[in-house]
Amino acid sequence: MSLNVIQPKPRLSGRELVRIVLSMSVACLAGAAVLGLVYLGTDRYRRASAEAAERGAIHDMLGLEADARLLEVRQYLVPGARRVVYRAAPLGATSGTAHEVTFTLDGALAGERDVPVAVPVGKELTPLGRMFVAARAGQPAGFVVQGETRGYKATIRLFVAMKPDFEIVDMRVIELQDDPGLGAEVAQPWFREQYVGRTAEEIARLDVTRDPMPEDWKQALVALARRAPDGPARHRDLLQRERTRPIYAVTGATISSRAVTEGVRKTVDHFRRRWWLLAPHLEGSL
Amino acid sequence: MSTVIHPGPAPGARQLILNGIFAENPVFRLALSLCPAVAVTTTVLNGLLLGVAVLFVQVLSSVTVTLAKRLIHPRVRIPVYTVIIAVWVSAIDMSLAAFAPALYAQVGLYVKLIVAFAIIISRLEVFASRQPLVPTFFDGLGMGLGFLLALLMIGAFRELLGSGSFAGIPLVPGKPLLFFALPAGGFFSIALLMALFNWIERRNQGGRAGPAKSAGGHGV
Repeated sequence: MSLNVIQPKPRLSGRELVRIVLSMSVACLAGAAVLGLVYLGTDRYRRASAEAAERGAIHDMLGLEADARLLEVRQYLVPGARRVVYRAAPLGATSGTAHEVTFTLDGALAGERDVPVAVPVGKELTPLGRMFVAARAGQPAGFVVQGETRGYKATIRLFVAMKPDFEIVDMRVIELQDDPGLGAEVAQPWFREQYVGRTAEEIARLDVTRDPMPEDWKQALVALARRAPDGPARHRDLLQRERTRPIYAVTGATISSRAVTEGVRKTVDHFRRRWWLLAPHLEGSL
Repeated sequence: MSTVIHPGPAPGARQLILNGIFAENPVFRLALSLCPAVAVTTTVLNGLLLGVAVLFVQVLSSVTVTLAKRLIHPRVRIPVYTVIIAVWVSAIDMSLAAFAPALYAQVGLYVKLIVAFAIIISRLEVFASRQPLVPTFFDGLGMGLGFLLALLMIGAFRELLGSGSFAGIPLVPGKPLLFFALPAGGFFSIALLMALFNWIERRNQGGRAGPAKSAGGHGV
């Protein structure tokens, strides 16, 4: 083949045109076929690993034993009818029944029913969020709630894990686009560890400070994030000193730090209010 | 531009691989794909992962083009190359998501961008579309390795200076020169390493050669 980029191109004949269209079409069709095959070959594994990762993260955050029961509750908005639907089913279930509870926007019960898990929710329903309820002996043993907040660049998504009395036991940033080395530091274990052990009331009043974090507290947070069983006992004095203080912002990333704090606050607050409504209707599913 | 077009008989495999790593290193010599090279190289591991993905895409796309070159109409060769690259990028994207979810969470965003990497399409145009299968394979391999090594070097340099760590292991407390972790610092890192590359090459030539070939080029 010769280099013909600089020579003036001859006029296209009809046959030439057909060959060009054919060439492009064949390339696209062959590409689509390859992608289809790869999708078929990998999708099952992708879903399985995404679910395993999620389940692992939840167990990890709540410190659950491997066989603990986990209920996934998805929340949807029915836009026209101004209703909120909660659909609860064991995490990862593909068969069996899901329990559906519907509330109006003012919190009045509007309906309750059992549906097969395999039946998808209506297309008109807008997903609002997800939460996971761990159960032990028919009682809730902990919650993991998905929340989101506006970060410095894009939405930050997070998981907040709580005890049944809504005290924070862990927090994870699961989606973040802030700058590496700056805003992205809010996903670091030492940063999220600052929220752990605060009650819902403390979280509701939680503030962020730009003061530098004391070096001993930073080291304690790194150690505590490893979740050694004797961690809280060893750092008791520091915990007593720091738990009443505000969250120390990441240096150079006050906006991201505030955003995460606000996200945790909103997530806990919304979930508490929802759970009072929802709990009586989920007793049968736990 | 130091990219040379290869219509004649191709050199041997070893020569082609060395060519991709040194004489025509995509980042330090051809100055192609600098934007992604800056975007992902805040740490060594990110650089390594993207480098490996690029290596696979380059080899697969080069081989596909050389095998299918008689079927590709010359007037639409660039769109067809783009489709071929996009197919392999998507295939690698899906495979990573399925089999290496932890890695994918880190580099997923950048893997999709490989479609627009100038280095890949330029190798298809200047080499794969003019050469038989075997040299094309080694050219793709050499270019992929050259890109991978360049990303590793930039990543190590920036992580060491910007975050004071190597591959996530902290070496010094604090952040010695945070500037290098920021996007602008990425360009300075590349410039410094490029200068080092030129210096080494001139020393190796014993000062016989004149000024190093200027690396001109543009593209994403």
